[in-house]
Amino acid sequence: MSEKLCSVPTRARSCDLCEVRERSVCADLSPRELAQVEKTMARRHVARGKPVMAEGEPNDSLFVVVSGSFRLSKLLEDGRRQVTGFLFPGDFAGVRATRSNAYSAEALEDSLVCCFPHRFLDDASVQSPGVKDRLIARGQTEYHKAQDHIVLLGKKTAEERVLSFIALVNRAIGIDESAGKRRVPLPMPRQDVADYLGLRLETLSRTLTALKRDGRLYDLTRHEVVVASEAGTAN
Amino acid sequence: MKPEWRKYLFQRAPRYTSYPAALHFDACVTREDYANRLAAVELYEPMSLYVHVPFCKRLCWYCGCNMRVENDYGRALRYVSALEKEIALVGRKLAGAGRPRSIHFGGGTPNYLLADEIAGILHAIEQEFGLTDDCRLAIELDPRLIRDDDVARLAGLGFSRMSLGVQDFDSAVQHAINRVQSYDMVESAVSEMRAAGVTDISFDLLYGLPRQTMDSFEATLERTIALSPDRLAVFGYAHLPARLPRQRMIDRVELPDVLLRADLATLADEKLIAAGYRRIGFDHYAKPDNPLSIAARDGRLRRNFQGFTDDISESTIGFGVSAISSVNGLFAQNEKGLNAYYDAIAAGLLPVVKGIEVTGGEMVIANAIQSLLCRGEADTAAIFRAVTPGEAQGICCKLEALEADGLIAWTGDLVKIDEEARLLSRCVAMALDPYEISDRAGMAGALAQAV
Repeated sequence: MSEKLCSVPTRARSCDLCEVRERSVCADLSPRELAQVEKTMARRHVARGKPVMAEGEPNDSLFVVVSGSFRLSKLLEDGRRQVTGFLFPGDFAGVRATRSNAYSAEALEDSLVCCFPHRFLDDASVQSPGVKDRLIARGQTEYHKAQDHIVLLGKKTAEERVLSFIALVNRAIGIDESAGKRRVPLPMPRQDVADYLGLRLETLSRTLTALKRDGRLYDLTRHEVVVASEAGTAN
Repeated sequence: MKPEWRKYLFQRAPRYTSYPAALHFDACVTREDYANRLAAVELYEPMSLYVHVPFCKRLCWYCGCNMRVENDYGRALRYVSALEKEIALVGRKLAGAGRPRSIHFGGGTPNYLLADEIAGILHAIEQEFGLTDDCRLAIELDPRLIRDDDVARLAGLGFSRMSLGVQDFDSAVQHAINRVQSYDMVESAVSEMRAAGVTDISFDLLYGLPRQTMDSFEATLERTIALSPDRLAVFGYAHLPARLPRQRMIDRVELPDVLLRADLATLADEKLIAAGYRRIGFDHYAKPDNPLSIAARDGRLRRNFQGFTDDISESTIGFGVSAISSVNGLFAQNEKGLNAYYDAIAAGLLPVVKGIEVTGGEMVIANAIQSLLCRGEADTAAIFRAVTPGEAQGICCKLEALEADGLIAWTGDLVKIDEEARLLSRCVAMALDPYEISDRAGMAGALAQAV
């Protein structure tokens, strides 16, 4: 069951080529710190459906999503699953080394992550105090995801929850389209969205259809919605 | 049953669906206490929800539930609207925390309500707490009230577990308890459930009812087995006419005596086991592939207000009159009367009137009793650490007596119930209970017989 990674770790050729660096990750590191971190970092491909972290297993690395997306989930005693969040490029997981992960992070599509072993990060912080904190300063961690989730679940109507969710994904991975529109990819299955929002699949589908009908969604397909540009700034 | 066990048949014992039992609830627990516990529920804490529907079309004379006969559906609509408000009140306290993992509709008669009203209650729960497709929905049904497409509509709403109050198939017994329902009626309900894809059909049977004989009950059991429910609960009828006036309609002389009660319970046990059911706890039976059997096999069986369950939730949130909630070591019970309940809801207040805060020591006893009832064994070392030396001595004496009579084996720190004595589990549980109240005057009348 511990088949976590689907390819042999490869050293990144250079952090200079990193797609997410410009967004946020590592942006607060000095050139010397970046050089240090780069030495200890490995880049991994994670195939769709494979976990980068598995619940109950040890983890000794900090991960940052470079491309793709992940679903965070916890298993309950009776075998049922709770979807607790989604990771998008620039998001971190494994903020602390642990002997037993509290959740799993599975790739929703073929994805790329950078792994920083905590051991090396701790060594690096001898010379550069606070390097780990600065590394993750602009990214979102699993703790932010829990915060997002409680805000979403506290919303009182299905419509509010769905709109907040779309806004959340929009902020992370929304893409500008022409004429004041944003395209918001939804790489996760509908059932994951429903479970995450505390809605039944039927309610989610009905709500999305209603939002499309009254024009608040310009377009709605299985893995994408198109919203007004300003929709991404609302909560 | 061994002759030396017969004296236990005369004991009265709590049902231990909670510990401390509801008998110990008082007004020390307020709605503010309950609100504080709700606010402390964690984000992903599994919760079990219970919705009480107190209405019935007719009065069954054996019933011990909080119910009223109601002929005006408008009054039921008023109740549903109050329930939805209560759900919103609790939802506001939880503010998105807690995940419902199961919802149980009990009564009274939940299917006194039409499917539209039940859908409305589920909608309120989905808005306020979140409701996902893997949440297990269960409902108790009176077969006499099932209308044309009720079963299909309930299955469409997601109810995957339906439980029928069968009690007894014998016509003489049915007349003596004022619950006359034909075998055909139950059979057609079961086939509608199967047709609608319901995979967890449960029957309630009662022994100790007036006019029951070994022959009549054997026939009931055979007809039950022919319908092949996925699980059964076989409860002993508790005759408490002093507390429940409706039970005075039952003629005392028609009740089976205590020895016949034991024989009826044993008969049910033997016939159901022979038919391939697994015994779950001491009064539930389930097919080997039923989730309840799997939970028992995996050591996940628990006991809650509905009896034995595979529900993993530590917390139960009850809605409606007299519903009991249990959140993080606090029991809270709602107003029993409809008017008082409506008044609280109208004022925007949680309708809690009483309860109990479980102490650390009580929690240890509660876990030991749960382990004893669910798995047939309990750790005595933990109990002795949690009680006073005087209480420990009392518990020791009682356990030694049970051991001398062969009901239990007590080796090291482990008390184990003899497999043949499982029907007397509640007597053993009582030995671990420092609040054991059988000799306290006044309260004994509120307890049912142990078997």
